[in-house]
Amino acid sequence: MPRANLRPLMTGSSTEALASPHVKTAQRSVLSLAIEGLRDIAQRRRLIRYLVGADLKRTHADTIFGQLWWIFDPLLQMAVYVVLVQVIFQRQIPDYPLFLFAAILPWKWFATTINDATMSVVNRQTLIRQIQFPKVVLPTAAVLAGTVSFGIGLIALGIVYVFYIHRLSPWILLIPVIAAVQLVFTLALALSLSAMNAFYRDVQNVMRHLVRLWFYLSPGLWTIHEIRDPTARLLLSLNPFTPLFESYRSVTWGMQAPDFGGLLYVLIVSGLLLAFGLALFKRVEPAFARIL
Amino acid sequence: MPTPGAAAAIEVQDLGIRYNLRLTRRTTLKNSLPGLVRSDDGTPKHFWALRHIAFRVEHGESLAVIGPNGAGKSTLLLALAGILEPSEGEILTHGRVSTLLTLGAGFEVELSGRDNIDLVAAFLGIDHREMVSLAPSIIEFADIGPFIDAPVKTYSTGMKARLGFAIATAITPDILLLDEVLGTGDETFRARSQARIRELIGKAKAIVLVTHDLTYVTEFCSRAILLERGQIIREGGPAEVTELYRQRVTERKLLAEAESQRFAEAPAR
Repeated sequence: MPRANLRPLMTGSSTEALASPHVKTAQRSVLSLAIEGLRDIAQRRRLIRYLVGADLKRTHADTIFGQLWWIFDPLLQMAVYVVLVQVIFQRQIPDYPLFLFAAILPWKWFATTINDATMSVVNRQTLIRQIQFPKVVLPTAAVLAGTVSFGIGLIALGIVYVFYIHRLSPWILLIPVIAAVQLVFTLALALSLSAMNAFYRDVQNVMRHLVRLWFYLSPGLWTIHEIRDPTARLLLSLNPFTPLFESYRSVTWGMQAPDFGGLLYVLIVSGLLLAFGLALFKRVEPAFARIL
Repeated sequence: MPTPGAAAAIEVQDLGIRYNLRLTRRTTLKNSLPGLVRSDDGTPKHFWALRHIAFRVEHGESLAVIGPNGAGKSTLLLALAGILEPSEGEILTHGRVSTLLTLGAGFEVELSGRDNIDLVAAFLGIDHREMVSLAPSIIEFADIGPFIDAPVKTYSTGMKARLGFAIATAITPDILLLDEVLGTGDETFRARSQARIRELIGKAKAIVLVTHDLTYVTEFCSRAILLERGQIIREGGPAEVTELYRQRVTERKLLAEAESQRFAEAPAR
């Protein structure tokens, strides 16, 4: 029976959706799965763009200020931490609001994105049982929507600088570079978490608390230079958010170059994690329609 | 008649779909078929929703799949649509597959109807240029007037259903998979949607229809399959298979009645 021109089945597929061969997913290597995941993302760029747009419209849709909350929110959070650390704990760090800001906005981006992305697959369970599409677009869109909001939130940084103009240096132009490293790390984590959460909803509950603990273990309210114990310092510097926070702080508050070595370390770790996350996601993707 | 050896529109070989019960959150399957789910040690781990399914649908054919609730009809359709990956065996299809499972699926309530057309089309993998050319006819068919530019959250249920139907039926597929969506919305729209479905059925090269309504089977289909407990009981002409199905339904009803009677008498003794 001639079968050469039979193609794998895809719902409503046009030619672009037909790339994946119908090989049993379980038998494929990490690398080929990761590459296929990247190809899914590239091929469904338009879908991801629409999803990002929908996401941005949805968040704060019923609030008066809408997207402006991405600007107000970090400012208000900054005020809370200033009261907590400077008034209650009596710690004196010059220009502390700006010092804090280096951590608040990137962390808000990370925390909301991880939360949204973790839920992204289960939130679409009805659709997953109705249409065949590469599910990897869901966490990817959640991460990118968070990134746009982070971009909007940078306006808040501009507002803070009105009061600390003497701390402004050309190094702040490197914020996008630091953010790019954080983006890769976030995406890698988001893919793994969203896939695992489809099987065990416990993931979303655990992550909420882990993310909070993670913030206090990262040099957001304090700096790594305050840690004297060498072992503790070494352990803390393994945390990807140590180089990230310190780098943000260097360019916004410290008027100096970011920790390039540290960023490279995070980038390498994130790259490996991304390959693993993509492969894990692609590996379990066929099961989503079955278990959701 | 199709020439022997030519590629069929759909070819299913020894298809099996297995659910892992420890991971299934929704309990619909457990509810519908508790008796089947027993492994050696008494604890159910897997459940075969379909097993050893094999059939061909040639070009120009329309196949009806009938059977009681929980027989695996919808699972079969999901597998044919590529939504469920076979645990065993293979499904080969030849041509563009479309399923009307997708009525109103994927709508984002904050977006306008127009934006939702783009979004759902992108989910379906319809090429953007094709979608641009299809959009005017979708909007016309949905017939929701100026609401097309309003957020979908302002739509009535009927408007949502109409837009969903218009999008789902916009592309003309080679293989059409239908799961009892032959009536949607109010009286006038139902007439139009029926006409649209008939048109699609006329244009499609192959059709698989899952239904409880046996009149559709004899009206639309050239062949039928009776599924029970995930297995094909009979395959043949629509009249023959629906007759067998009716018989079995009646038998089961009589059995159930006898059973309940015995149960009702029991406390008296």
